[in-house]
Amino acid sequence: MEPPVIALEDVTVTYRSGFLGGTGFDALRGVSLSVGAGETVGLVGESGSGKTTLGRVCLGLLRPTTGSMHFAGQPFGNLRQRRGQLSVVLQHPEWALNPRLRCGRSVEEPLVLTGVSAAARRARVDEILEQVGLDPSFAARLPGQLSGGQRQRIAIARALVTHPRFIVFDEAVSALDVSVQAQVLNLIRDLQERHGFGALFISHDIAATRYVSHRIAVMLNGEIVEDGPAGRFYGAPEHPYSRALLAAV
Amino acid sequence: MSGVARIARRRLRGDGLTLFGAVSLGCLLFLGIFGPWLPLGDPSRIAAGPRLGAPSAAFLFGTDELGRDFLPRVVQGIRSTFLLSAIAVAITAVIGTLLGMAAGYLGRHTDQIVARGADILFAFPALVAGLLVAAVMGPGQASAITVISIATLPLFIRVVRSVTLGVAGRGFVTAAEVAGASTLRVMVVHLLPNVMGAVMVQLTYALSIGMIIESALSFLGLGVQPPDASLGSLLRQGSAYLTIAPWMVLSSGVVLSLAIMSVNLVGDAARDALEPLKGRPLT
Amino acid sequence: MTAMTAPLVDIADLVIEYDTGTRQVRAIDGAALQVFEDETLAIVGESGSGKTTLGMAAGRLLPPEARVLGGRIHVADVDVSDADDDALRRLRHDKLGFVFQNPTTALDPTMRIGRQVALAMGGRPAPEAIAELLSRAELNEPQRILRAFPHELSGGMAQRVVIAMAIARSPQLLIADEPTASLDASIREKVMATLGRLRAESGASLVILSHDLRMIARHADRVAVMYGGRIVELGAVGQVMQAPAHPYTRALLAAAAGNERPGERLRPIPGTPPILESRCEACAYAPRCAFRETRCETERPEPRAFAGREVVCHRAEAVIAADQSPRQEAR
Repeated sequence: MEPPVIALEDVTVTYRSGFLGGTGFDALRGVSLSVGAGETVGLVGESGSGKTTLGRVCLGLLRPTTGSMHFAGQPFGNLRQRRGQLSVVLQHPEWALNPRLRCGRSVEEPLVLTGVSAAARRARVDEILEQVGLDPSFAARLPGQLSGGQRQRIAIARALVTHPRFIVFDEAVSALDVSVQAQVLNLIRDLQERHGFGALFISHDIAATRYVSHRIAVMLNGEIVEDGPAGRFYGAPEHPYSRALLAAV
Repeated sequence: MSGVARIARRRLRGDGLTLFGAVSLGCLLFLGIFGPWLPLGDPSRIAAGPRLGAPSAAFLFGTDELGRDFLPRVVQGIRSTFLLSAIAVAITAVIGTLLGMAAGYLGRHTDQIVARGADILFAFPALVAGLLVAAVMGPGQASAITVISIATLPLFIRVVRSVTLGVAGRGFVTAAEVAGASTLRVMVVHLLPNVMGAVMVQLTYALSIGMIIESALSFLGLGVQPPDASLGSLLRQGSAYLTIAPWMVLSSGVVLSLAIMSVNLVGDAARDALEPLKGRPLT
Repeated sequence: MTAMTAPLVDIADLVIEYDTGTRQVRAIDGAALQVFEDETLAIVGESGSGKTTLGMAAGRLLPPEARVLGGRIHVADVDVSDADDDALRRLRHDKLGFVFQNPTTALDPTMRIGRQVALAMGGRPAPEAIAELLSRAELNEPQRILRAFPHELSGGMAQRVVIAMAIARSPQLLIADEPTASLDASIREKVMATLGRLRAESGASLVILSHDLRMIARHADRVAVMYGGRIVELGAVGQVMQAPAHPYTRALLAAAAGNERPGERLRPIPGTPPILESRCEACAYAPRCAFRETRCETERPEPRAFAGREVVCHRAEAVIAADQSPRQEAR
């Protein structure tokens, strides 16, 4: 069987604070999580539960204090080695794109870093913009001229342009209006079917999460308290905290 | 940028004070840049007229104790005051932007060292620094530039650092890091263009501070050396004859105040144009 | 609902435009709304629909670039558009309470909670009275919170403090702009319950501005759906949510995650919301509407009573007759 694109084994992240790192605080405690190719794992929990920390670990932005992390069966290494293999879509559409760069430059940046030629880049950018439902003419626009939903589409195009094996969506639809949210959620589902990337969908919104996810992990105080198929979250999940989250749907 | 330019234009038209600042700054810059080629006379020609002559049709600003025409001397003063401060501030802006970006983005030890360093520089009174530098380097233009840099460097570091901290937390920077961009690339492509606005605003403030410091140093005899003139050295020269030839202090003093004020007015307008959303309630 | 008495808020034919510097944008294009005593009314809409403008207009808390071009706003028998500054201040101070989206910006970071609450209460309240008010907002350990600064509180606690301040003078009208949007999902429900309970206890009216349909369904009596600066559907929450008569309401419900069954696909609304520059002489929703016919593009629909509610649509009969589960199977 193909190894999962990302696999965390008993990961703990301890933040040192205070003078000379006197006191420690575990943002993550003994977390094990794996995401397979073509699979979306939802990660829900309140802020401060550790889900953002877990996302940063999966992206290689934060080293686990203890525990192991594998990418497609190999030790994670560093981000330079993983160029083009993973990417991220973040919450705030107004900050998703460098306001000084034309959208085409933003989308092609991961290709520049992997050494793709200029001509090939242009073709890839046009193609990917079309796949996220935007006209190729958007490449020439500045982010300031775009709506929130359009910017989030550009951010998704940038995340997809190198055909990565793993994408983290960190509150990627939370700042969008209801109808735009539906567009972006559908886009994520369709693109996954097409490209087969593994995805971690971090959100406090359990309704949106269960809609895009195959599996959902619930975090509470730095630990995963429930990890099960998304279908369970349309009915009665096991952990009382999961049920409390669902009560608001 | 077109939005900023538009707002700036509208402000310039709508606000009389800013318009006044822009026009007087324009005139001063014109005199400072093209002064040597204007038919104003030679600033260093001795006995061009009477000694300590009052302003007249031939000598609009009067003459000094050596009979030199004071108008070309003031124009030369404008030139050297602006030029010295501009050179110093430009050098400082480059260094300060680099250090501020490094402190804000790299964090940890780099931040500790740079931020503490800026605090120490900031705590230093410029004049004490001036005396110190002049004592070590000897009075002259080089020490004036050094002192202005010491005094304005913390301004750039602090502002650039705090803007960088804000920009570095934004999605596009994280996305570039995840894509494997090098630290240098993140700083040049993503941070620098987004801190430039703050740097430009800071430039105008630093320029006015630089002009004050340059004038103060030259007034104390530590800056521009005779026979060259700066607005500060002209003030010093004139102060010796304040009771018998008040036009010397008056003309150089008024021009210096005008220069500092107009730089500040234009700087305020630039800041308002770059931060148009500040202080707007409940949109 | 006590429709017999005079409404607490009475807004009619309201037109508000914003001067953006380059052009005029019409945020409210002829809205009419009444809020009665002792009810919770939700105003729903997406960004740009005009819901915040309408809510803020009731307290005349509009930003300076907003211009009221027509219509009237009466709040607690005060003509807000005509009142002088003094009367407005008294109205805001004594009869209105505001709860904003982000509690951390609503509180003064330099002042202890106790002092801020005391200022909101007016006069020189005893510490016991302040603590009592905080515990009414379901804050445990009010004595400790009195001495705290805003940054020492969690988002949920801070919002409870803001709610306590809003009800301090027993206002007749509470306006809450996205009161739970910045809070954790797990505590939103509890904070809303507190707000609802305090409203019911005091008999005040509550206007919630929100885009969260699920939250509204649970906490409001009536709902006003806004689109293109107008209220396009207004009625009892149960009726409107279960059998929408306006195609926009219907589309919004179909687009929201949460009501779908596993495997069902959400249906986004095609197109984008309009930005009006003047009075819309057609139906503003027509370009995106699945039910449109020719007159929708030529004739401005006017509010009319239909199926127990008020609706602004030529095609309401067709909408309510259509299958009320408009999602399609997929995946």
